[in-house]
Amino acid sequence: MLAYALRRLLISVPILIASTFIVFIGGALTANPLNQLQARNPPPPPRVLELERQRLNLDEPLLERYWNWLIGLFQGDFGPSVHSNLDLGSEVIARFGVTFRLIFLAMLIALILAIIVGVISAVKQYTKLDYTFTFFGFLFLAMPSFWFAILLKEAGISFNNAVGEQVLYTIGDSSVYVAGGAWAEFTDVLGHMVLPTISLALLSFAAWSRFQRASMLEVLNSDYVRLARAKGLRRGKVMRKHALRTALIPLTTVTALDLGAIISGAVVTENVYQWRGAGSFLLESIRNDDVYAIQAWLLISATFIILFNLVADLLYGVLDPRIRYA
Amino acid sequence: MLTSKSRVVRSAALIAGAALALSACGGGGGDGEGQTGQIFADCDTNPNECNSVPADQLQDGGEVTFAMEKNIENWNITSAEGNVLDSAMAIKTVLPYTFYTKPDLSVAMNEDLLESAEMVSEDPQVIEYKIKQDAAWSDGTPISAEDFIYNWKVQNGTDCPDCAPASTAGYDQVKSVEGSDNGKTVTVTFTKPFTDWQKMWGSGEPMYPAHIAAEHGDINTPKGLASSYEWLGKNVPDYSGNAFKIDKWENNVALTLVPNENYWGDKPNLGRVVFRVITDAAQEPTALQNGEVNVIYPQPQVDLVNQIKNIPNVSSHIGLGLTWEHFDFNLDNKFLAEEPLRDALFTAVDRQGLIDKTVGQFTDKVKPLNSHNFVPQQDGYQDVVSEFGHGTGDVEAAKKILTDAGYTLKGDQLVDPDGTAIPAMRIRYTTGNQIRKDQCELFAQAARELGVKVNVQPTDDLGGTLVEGDYDIMVFAWVMSPFPYSGGIQLWHSESESNFGGYKNAQVDKLLTEAASETDKQTANQKLNEANRIMAEDAYVLPLYQKPTFIAAYDNIGNIRNNSTLDTPTYNIAQWGLRAE
Repeated sequence: MLAYALRRLLISVPILIASTFIVFIGGALTANPLNQLQARNPPPPPRVLELERQRLNLDEPLLERYWNWLIGLFQGDFGPSVHSNLDLGSEVIARFGVTFRLIFLAMLIALILAIIVGVISAVKQYTKLDYTFTFFGFLFLAMPSFWFAILLKEAGISFNNAVGEQVLYTIGDSSVYVAGGAWAEFTDVLGHMVLPTISLALLSFAAWSRFQRASMLEVLNSDYVRLARAKGLRRGKVMRKHALRTALIPLTTVTALDLGAIISGAVVTENVYQWRGAGSFLLESIRNDDVYAIQAWLLISATFIILFNLVADLLYGVLDPRIRYA
Repeated sequence: MLTSKSRVVRSAALIAGAALALSACGGGGGDGEGQTGQIFADCDTNPNECNSVPADQLQDGGEVTFAMEKNIENWNITSAEGNVLDSAMAIKTVLPYTFYTKPDLSVAMNEDLLESAEMVSEDPQVIEYKIKQDAAWSDGTPISAEDFIYNWKVQNGTDCPDCAPASTAGYDQVKSVEGSDNGKTVTVTFTKPFTDWQKMWGSGEPMYPAHIAAEHGDINTPKGLASSYEWLGKNVPDYSGNAFKIDKWENNVALTLVPNENYWGDKPNLGRVVFRVITDAAQEPTALQNGEVNVIYPQPQVDLVNQIKNIPNVSSHIGLGLTWEHFDFNLDNKFLAEEPLRDALFTAVDRQGLIDKTVGQFTDKVKPLNSHNFVPQQDGYQDVVSEFGHGTGDVEAAKKILTDAGYTLKGDQLVDPDGTAIPAMRIRYTTGNQIRKDQCELFAQAARELGVKVNVQPTDDLGGTLVEGDYDIMVFAWVMSPFPYSGGIQLWHSESESNFGGYKNAQVDKLLTEAASETDKQTANQKLNEANRIMAEDAYVLPLYQKPTFIAAYDNIGNIRNNSTLDTPTYNIAQWGLRAE
């Protein structure tokens, strides 16, 4: 298993380098990091533009810039941002920290809900409950994430008005000032998490619950489950030990592969709820033509996606002994 | 079974639909209650005094949260990188400055800092500033000539070539800055007159403390000046020379100000002002509605303005500021280098129609602008555009201009006097800016009637596109200054880097230079308008309109009002306060 994991990791390295190269070249050829400065009114003196060009390495050939960036990475240097005070390394890691706080909870809720709803739907196939879950599943699937997030905000404000105090928040991950000690701080953070977490979780839940339902149905109709029942095993035990465990394997793959999509979805959610995470970092970097910042974002997110895919592969082994012993 | 299934699905659909509809409509505040928010009702007629509340009718303390659309990336707002409107709006509240601009666009001396600021000699031009005796930085160091000298040196482009200031205008014309009377009198002597002298060390270029800069570099050497100037940009000010000081900075989240307890002037009414970073203007109305911010100052859009009108206890005001939209020709295009074609295209454009279909949808205040250097609220404003018929949408007149100049129509295609068909041109706008896109479409429509095909093309690199001249026609905005004379040179002079379209006229250059070097403002206005008239006749740039500004605030905040200039509504932040119950 260890050798397999290491082999997978080693294969990932050239993929990672190739992706950074493509993005760097694409970004460098299309983005102009001096754009914001050049459009200033009053225009900065020519000397200022020259100094900035040098600082951003724009006076170097493209391939040399990429090579220097790659070498710099090994020394913890992610390159210069258009904001001269910004240390891209610490900034991008801090921003991803915020994003993962949001994503982790959202994924956890989405997964638990998806498994429960998927299993119930499969077991109670073609009942009112199944149709209701199916309806909401497709409803959430069809809704654009930004629109859903905005609707949720409005619902949150209506809720606050109804209860007569500010329980739910629409911007940021916490208030700037909170009076009342640790409990007040905890409820403040919670109040900031509710809407974005629901927003992000429901979209993933919708797809995953459909997947889990299909997977569960397939397993329930398989010969070995029928055999287990015929042997006289109790229904609950068959469900838990034989059916559910096998039916979780496809969901594991989908969840791991969906991480990229969730990070992309978080870009929208973070923007609507003004969380200063990796999503807003990427948007700002694109708006500012900040090529090195875009690179930093790509590098970290690609690394996480590769790692999650690896984790998914390893989980197969845990869930399915046939893979483990193969 | 079928009936049962349908019923379940229908019921679920109804529940979901109702929930979403209720949630979407729920926050509106209902029945236009927000219309009662009238604190800005007289701001059009009384821009400097509207929403005034005497100090004794305000609470002592309290907190106001102001939405700020950009994170602060650099703390030195006189530097090229730090010179960002949102940063300046917040940071200048802790820095001293000589002059500022009021909401009616008049320039006023900062009476908290200065006893007087007068021109004591015209030739050579000499300005004498008298600083208040008790004016001091928060650590007790007097604000003095040393601060004027330091801030001059880092911005004049000579003493510190690597300082990267936002602009050297004015400072590069100063011969000397000298202090006397223990540094409380500052005498500034110019090498040649500078009409806009009031802009120097003003609210757009406030002063940083020389004594603190000196701790981070030898301020008598270029290298030391550069390192101290850079230090000021990297570090959150823990000093103050104004009514507020910075209490807390959370990167990407918020800047908090509290009163500077050592301030020599009137103490601020509020106990705390928070500038909350909200980088997407579309999210500001809900934050305002939910009470997470109390004041917003976004670029107005139809939906946003309407959304705000429905929030109870919130007032809003649309003002007209110094930012103005315009169509620019690139004279490097050999067809556009011909004046009759430019003249005809500008004549065919209907500016009023364009306003009605864009910004006119949420305000009727916006009118066509008829000057390239002044707005109607300024003393020097003169209509230099109308007499040439530009922007009237008179297609027949435009066709006559072309016919008289020898242009002909071959089918739907315009052909120049040499028999060459006018090729398709590109009009460009900033990606994502719907209003500008609409303006471009309307321009293209007008051009089509003359037989000129114009393709509308976005750019996500406005600065680069302008500098590289990668356009035939461009729509964008300039920010006019309350100090327009040096600005005129920057935008229209043949040698200026910002004269992107390559307009060259020796007579205009001469007049612009003279206007910027006058000691008498009336003469300067006259010369600038004369230059402007020639430029308008040459049909290089067509001014469209002043961009509206928009403020929305809760009704309980007194003394806050729109200031459409670069001074923004924070120009009188020390007077803001919460109305007493």
